[in-house]
Amino acid sequence: MQLKMRRRFLSSLAASAGNSKTLNHRRWTVKQVTKSNFKSSLDEFRTSINSSDFVAISLLNTGSYAAAWHRVSAIDTPQTSYLKAKYAAERYQIFQFALCPFSLHASNLTVHPYNFYLFPRDELKLGMPSYSFSCQASRLTSMAREGFDFNTCIYEGISYLSREQESASKFLSGNPILPDPITAPSSPSTVADTVFVGRIRSRVKNWRQSCLDSSSKTGDDDDLVSSLRKLVLGSEQYGSRLCLTIDVCSERQVQLILEMLTEFSDDVVPLLTASKSRGTQAVRTVFMSSKEDKDLFKRELQDLEDEENRRVRGFREVVDLISSSQKPVVTQNYLSDFTSIHAKFLGPLPSNVDGFTRSLSSAFPNVVNLSQLMKEICPLSNISNLPAALSSLNRFFAPVDVEVANHGCAVNPDEGNQMHGQNVVMISQLFAKLSTIQKSYQSPAQSNEDLQDLDFEEHANSITSNDENVKVWSKNSRRVSSENLVFVWGLSKKMTAAMLKKVLEKSSHAVFAQEFDVKYIDRSCAVVVFWESGSSETFLREVNNEEQLVGCLREMVAEGLRVAGYETYRRACRLGFWEADLAEALDKTLESSETDLDSDNKPSDIIWSSELAINFDEL
Amino acid sequence: MRRHKRWPLRPLASALIRSRFCFSSATETVTTEAFPLKHVTRSNFETTLNELRAHVKAADFVAIDLEMTGVTSAPWRDSLEFDRYDVRYLKVKDSAEKFAVVQFGVCPFRWDSHTHSFLSHPHNFFIFPRQELTFDHPPAHEFLCQTTSMDFLAKYQFDFNACIHEGISYLSRRQEEDASNRFEMLYSQQGVVEVEDFKLVRLADVLFAERMKNKLNEWRSELLHGGPNASSQSSSNGLTQSTETVFYHMRPALNLRGFTSHQLRVIQLVLKRHFGDLVYIHANDKSSSCSQDFVVYTDSESDKENLLKEAKDERKRVAERKIQSAIGFRHVIDLLSSEKKLIVGHNSILDIAHVYSKFVGPLPPTAEEFVASIRDHFPYIVDTKILVNVNPMLHQRMKKSSTSLSSAFSSLCPQIELPSRGSDSFLQQRVKIDVEVDNIRCSKWNAGGKHEAGYDAFMTGCIFAQACSHLGFDFNRPSVDFAHNEKLEKYINRLYLSWSRGDIIDLRESHSNAENWRVSKFKYEKIVLIWNFPRKLKAREIKECICKAFGSTSVTSVYHLDDTAVFVLFKNSELVSEFLKLKEQLESDDGPVRVIHPLSKILEGGNTGAADYEAYKEICSSHISKVLFSDQAETVGVKPKTRADPKGETSSETGRKEKMVAVTDKASDLIDSFLANTVKLEAARIN
Repeated sequence: MQLKMRRRFLSSLAASAGNSKTLNHRRWTVKQVTKSNFKSSLDEFRTSINSSDFVAISLLNTGSYAAAWHRVSAIDTPQTSYLKAKYAAERYQIFQFALCPFSLHASNLTVHPYNFYLFPRDELKLGMPSYSFSCQASRLTSMAREGFDFNTCIYEGISYLSREQESASKFLSGNPILPDPITAPSSPSTVADTVFVGRIRSRVKNWRQSCLDSSSKTGDDDDLVSSLRKLVLGSEQYGSRLCLTIDVCSERQVQLILEMLTEFSDDVVPLLTASKSRGTQAVRTVFMSSKEDKDLFKRELQDLEDEENRRVRGFREVVDLISSSQKPVVTQNYLSDFTSIHAKFLGPLPSNVDGFTRSLSSAFPNVVNLSQLMKEICPLSNISNLPAALSSLNRFFAPVDVEVANHGCAVNPDEGNQMHGQNVVMISQLFAKLSTIQKSYQSPAQSNEDLQDLDFEEHANSITSNDENVKVWSKNSRRVSSENLVFVWGLSKKMTAAMLKKVLEKSSHAVFAQEFDVKYIDRSCAVVVFWESGSSETFLREVNNEEQLVGCLREMVAEGLRVAGYETYRRACRLGFWEADLAEALDKTLESSETDLDSDNKPSDIIWSSELAINFDEL
Repeated sequence: MRRHKRWPLRPLASALIRSRFCFSSATETVTTEAFPLKHVTRSNFETTLNELRAHVKAADFVAIDLEMTGVTSAPWRDSLEFDRYDVRYLKVKDSAEKFAVVQFGVCPFRWDSHTHSFLSHPHNFFIFPRQELTFDHPPAHEFLCQTTSMDFLAKYQFDFNACIHEGISYLSRRQEEDASNRFEMLYSQQGVVEVEDFKLVRLADVLFAERMKNKLNEWRSELLHGGPNASSQSSSNGLTQSTETVFYHMRPALNLRGFTSHQLRVIQLVLKRHFGDLVYIHANDKSSSCSQDFVVYTDSESDKENLLKEAKDERKRVAERKIQSAIGFRHVIDLLSSEKKLIVGHNSILDIAHVYSKFVGPLPPTAEEFVASIRDHFPYIVDTKILVNVNPMLHQRMKKSSTSLSSAFSSLCPQIELPSRGSDSFLQQRVKIDVEVDNIRCSKWNAGGKHEAGYDAFMTGCIFAQACSHLGFDFNRPSVDFAHNEKLEKYINRLYLSWSRGDIIDLRESHSNAENWRVSKFKYEKIVLIWNFPRKLKAREIKECICKAFGSTSVTSVYHLDDTAVFVLFKNSELVSEFLKLKEQLESDDGPVRVIHPLSKILEGGNTGAADYEAYKEICSSHISKVLFSDQAETVGVKPKTRADPKGETSSETGRKEKMVAVTDKASDLIDSFLANTVKLEAARIN
């Protein structure tokens, strides 16, 4: 409750800080980038990133969580936190991607802030980058309140394709592509195959011969003869070269033709044409007049493909730039930002957190999680409110001078939209302050292995840290194994946590004689925390054994009370039962007979803190 | 860049809207201007609603049109050849549940016998599901956006800022009920401020309680005996906490500010223990969302009761007002519903489903229940798409052009589309339609913005008026009752459930349920659904595989649902269960049979799923929407299986079939014969 009050206080502080008067001196010009100025800005951004040491990022999504229990909370293990973030990243859309390459020399912070508007335009009409996305009405409303320009975003937003989508689109975009070199001969051929190959071979042979003829005696034929020849042989032009189109009706035939064409590999290059719906429609054989011509042709094709890819890739070019620069990326919210980035720009999210960390570190080896850094230095402050977080550091002496180094971007004070993407400058600033304070300025970037225990430090395995139950940095939180949690639902609507605790205390069950704690996760479901291991099993066993129940607990069970251990919760997240109420999700999980094959069964620790009670003000 | 010319980009949408309103009111004198359209956002909603009430009351019919954020939540949710009517309903239901309505066009039409023309009032409402109620936290409202639809809206210059910044919010009837119930519960709890007895353990609490006790005592005695200075005492520790003497419901009170909720609880405890005549009141401020806490002095036990009752009533009033204002745009729907006006839409099943799910309550699980329920709210609906397709004379007038809204409009109402083109003699037989916005009447304008809901509604109404004229309506006769006119009887309350398939849903009272479903040309029990087969297989190859196993005539056709799934239509239903059984056998067999069997090509990869048509229905009824059908089937978790009792299934199926046939025999109106013709045509095309 105290916390609630404090949060309210902080948010009112933020509200006043949001007023232009108090923050006026802290407003920076951020370069706004849309479709129209993307190309030019890209070069500028490349220069900026090359001259900087770090990159701060800040994403604005169309939503964060659909129901109270979907947000990552104190009761989550790394795996369930990841699954929650994954669920959100897959559904919501990034509307704004603010980036700020910056460098820090002594107390001078040089920033190059950019704000990119994104919109997933289906330019290839293939349902890519995304077929649809979810919007949280309340999120859009609050974006509107901050003056977000939805028209600019939707009309002018930059589109993109993820790495995986790009390789898939290569085939579907309709441009002819070079087939992959044949590695293994196909399965034994049938009679039909042999006949087919024979037919095509003779056709190609004839055509090739005619090509050779015509190239040897160019100009001898008159136009009529040459066009007649073309008609008879089905020969066409591909650019300036001669080519023959062979229609196919299965991938098997494609394979056979490609194998056969290796006989002519000196002067014939095959190309695959995709049909609009699925699979290969035709194989095109293109005649090469010489070895040099062949190389030239392949290079041309490659250039064409690169050009096409760049067009299709869109904003992902920026993500690739950051990735290839290997500069440390500073983020305020590691999990939600990077699951979004992975889902939109790299590829589908892996099913577990280890796969995600592995996959992510190959693209972004250096990530600085600002909230973790903040926790270490100033454990009580709330990082989600940047101005407040910055001001909470005022008690340290860490002067930072900010210099905006975006050149060539017209500053028009009348245009309010220059102001979007301010967060990213504040993130840079906060990072600068923190690293100055920490004096770890020489090597502030953490490698990803460090990150694993940096970000999820509190979730380390219980076996190693069982003896130390209390975390040093916060006297209110305790480490507790996830196995000691019991979910309780099916309670009367008017029940509060305090009432439930009282009822359980009075129930005269042995497990409730010891100390325990009760908190609501959402409106439908509470969690009971036992400090003693083993109590949760006892409690679960007893509730499920209805005959031996006595007193009010029996009454509550008769009225619909249900209980489940942490495993059920874990499974609900894994199976994706993202119902609006946790109670419903747990019910569904218990109904589903699917056994858990996941290796993620070992108990994990979570930090139980009385402060981390669900604050309904924030939902 | 036209957009820039029209509305210079400014950060605040209100500015945009204002400039657009200027537009519509500028039509006063100029003959050809932009189409006058009343744009309505939350800033002018209240006043417009009052005007609209009068217009609707006087109207002969009201045309509506909706703009949504999307249509299909996955490609396979689109209307397909193999959709049975119940599956089609599930798809409509899914669309209406997932997407948001962003613009709602309402256009009342009234026949003006003095000018011999229809007078229309096109309204264009921007709506957005903003959460207006804050005293409680209903589940976060979410909606889906289809990227192509958003792009489409953007192409027609849809103003997203106006919609999100200034859109009118709404509550459905069900949501309103829920909100009142939740509030009822909340305030019945609050009403009786029952402080749980808790012990003051912490030293700080004990000290605080003691300090408050002294302070309250002091204040009380000052009140009673007239102390030196009863106003504004700042607390001793100089913190943000303060108490100030005010009047609460004509009683002296202390306004508590800056206390934590824990401290407030301690204060309540102190009051309960030591002060019988001081009452703790927690009041929600009317204007702002923040609440205030008071300690109020009462001079008697009855006065105390009165005070508590007053406080309770006030809270209730505040909440009711909040709920009333949160209803927002639904007032318009309630108006249309209570006036029982004839509603005109174009291909409007999705519109009606949206109206139901947004403003009435959750859509019923079956089409039959939907039909039964929609009648209670909108007794008369007419669909112009049905009119122009089913009536042979109108169909002919369309000159075989497409029956989309805009082409129907230009074929039937060329005089309205471009009224500036002068008056040919043939225009004499056309219905004259005037537009009135903000009491300014005009009859000439440039073509309006297509896909602006208000203009689309206007077009729909014009088509209807013109169609009625062709049907031989005499508008000048006193009281032309459109809803009960026999000339319209065949068309009223019929909607296309699926335009592409020609399925018509009948909402008429006399025909209780879905009996009028057109006899389908597919026997659904002959269909097997296969998904997750090797991607490179095409429909033809799948057909070949199955024909190798079951005989060359066993498969009638194979139809792609998407890249990952196909429907296989077998010759008869026995083959369906045989196929499913064989598949199961092959999968459990590890021997050589599995490799050389013709079906092995389909089963390659080991993830291939197959099920009968009922499973397809089950998959469609799920609220999950994966882009690929195979992912959807896996997620919904349909186990590849044959139905437990195929006999029972078929018998009920034939039962329904008989019933349907009976109805078709009985009914012999234009529609059925027309439909029968199209069925024949389609059958011919397929053969």
